[in-house]
Order: sequence, then structure tokens, then C-alpha cells
Amino acid sequence: MNDASKLPQDVAVESRFSKHKLFLLVVSSIVLALMLVLISMALYASSGAAQLDLSRPGYKAVQDKLGQPSTFESFPSTGPVNDQALEQFIKLYDRQIQPVLGDSPFNPESLSDHALGIDNKPES
Amino acid sequence: MSSRYFSLLLFIVIVMASVSVPALAQQTLLSDEHIERIKSNCQSALGTLARIHANDAPTYINRNQTYFSIGDKMMARLNGRLALNRYDAAQLVRTASDYNARLTKFRSTYRDYDTSMAEIIRIDCRKQPVGFYEKVAETRELREKVNDVSGQLKSLIEQYRNEVILFQADNSIQLKEGQS
Repeated sequence: MNDASKLPQDVAVESRFSKHKLFLLVVSSIVLALMLVLISMALYASSGAAQLDLSRPGYKAVQDKLGQPSTFESFPSTGPVNDQALEQFIKLYDRQIQPVLGDSPFNPESLSDHALGIDNKPES
Repeated sequence: MSSRYFSLLLFIVIVMASVSVPALAQQTLLSDEHIERIKSNCQSALGTLARIHANDAPTYINRNQTYFSIGDKMMARLNGRLALNRYDAAQLVRTASDYNARLTKFRSTYRDYDTSMAEIIRIDCRKQPVGFYEKVAETRELREKVNDVSGQLKSLIEQYRNEVILFQADNSIQLKEGQS
């Protein structure tokens, strides 16, 4: 379709579009960026990454409580299987499971009404 | 005619009442004294909750890392080594699989708990004492679930160890041959 065959209203719409081209580009870029941020935030929250991220505000004070992940020794996945290998496995296993064998740190009692001071009985 | 309308109206009222009663029953009924106590103590409760929430994060990260390493660097590797040496370790593989499933559950349960904790801290407890109290109860249940799954993981870790010892006893002859 050449310019001569265009209707006057088509030309008007085209000129209005070309007048606001830059504005539309900026607005659509911002909308797209906002959408991508929302998608990435949703993924961050739903994937479990948020729970592993101690760079969040409020967690700076507890960052030093993180253990060293490299201290965990792997059992070799190749080699012969004999009494000696299994004993070596048990020895290594016993040593490495120690940190998780104690009482669970997620005791619900720490959130009890009494512990939080919101129980029905006032302190005497 | 009017008695028919009356019966219809009565029927509608009964149906609506039966639908709304369970919804009302779910709401926590607190005495005025209790609500006042929540209002007066909720700021210190929020401080305690924020501290627990912050301390839970490194605990979870360390536990999650250790649980993952036990499955990946110990159980999976021994199972692979037994398979390479043509041993039947079906029970050990089953336990390792159960363990991995529980670990996935541990992560998702903790995520729900963590989200709920973050929501409590955002509640204006002076304006919404009942909502705050209910949310604390809900979060306590989620923490209990995390605690339960953590206990199940501990049991599976111990079970795997016992099964390795049992495997050693059941295959003592082949294992001695493998030594020579």
C-alpha cells in the first residue's frame, strides 16, 4: 500500500503514533521491566531461595552462625566393597551425622502463648 | 399461599445458618481480658518472634546443607558403589529414596513456616489482636510440622546406618572374599 492510497484517518493515526513513539517505547520498557521483576520475585519466593538468602534485611547479625559447607567429607563412590570399606563408611557417617542427631531446633514450644506472653493467665 | 412463602423463607434461613455456623466456629473466641493482654504484650512478643525468625534462618541453612550432604555425599555414593560391585542393596536404596522425599518435604514445610512467620511480623497486633493470636497459633502448627519432619529425617538417618550394618552381616562371606 503506497501513501497515495492511504485514507486520511490512517495518516492521522500514523502521525499520532510516530509523535508518541518515544513515549510508548519508554512506557512499554518500564512495564516489561516491572513484569520481569514480579516474575523473578515470585520465583525467588516460591523456589526456596529466599529461605537460603541471609543477605536479606534483618539477617546480617546471624550471618556468622552459618557453618562451613566444605567441611563435609564425601564417601568415595568407586572402589571395592568389603568389610574395611563398610567400616570406613560407618566411621565417616557417624562423624558427619552428629550435627543433626541432637534435639530438633524447631521446637514449637518457643512459639507457645506462654513463651510469647500472650496467654490468657496474667503473670502473678 | 403465605404459609408456603413462610416455609420457603424458613428453609432458606436454615440452609444459610447451617452454612455459616462452621465459618463462625472457626473464629477464635477470646475474652476481653485476653485481648487486652495480647494488646499490651504484643510488642515484646513481636520482638521475640523477630529474634526467633532471624535465628531460624542460619539453623535451617546449616541443617538443610547437612541433610543434603548426608543424602548426596554418603547414602547415594554408598548405594552407587554397591550397585557397581553388583550387590543387591534394594533396602538401602529405598531408605535413601524415602530420605530424599522427606528432605523435599522439610524444605517445603520450612518455606511455609518462614512465610507465615514473616506475615506475623507485618501484622499490627494492637489493631488486630485476634488476627495476630490466630496467626501465631497457625505458625506454631507449621513449626511443629517442621519439627516432625526433622525428627523423621533423623530416624531415616539412623535407619540407614542400621541397614548398612545389617547388610554387612547378611553379606559377610562375599565381603570377606572381596577383601582378599
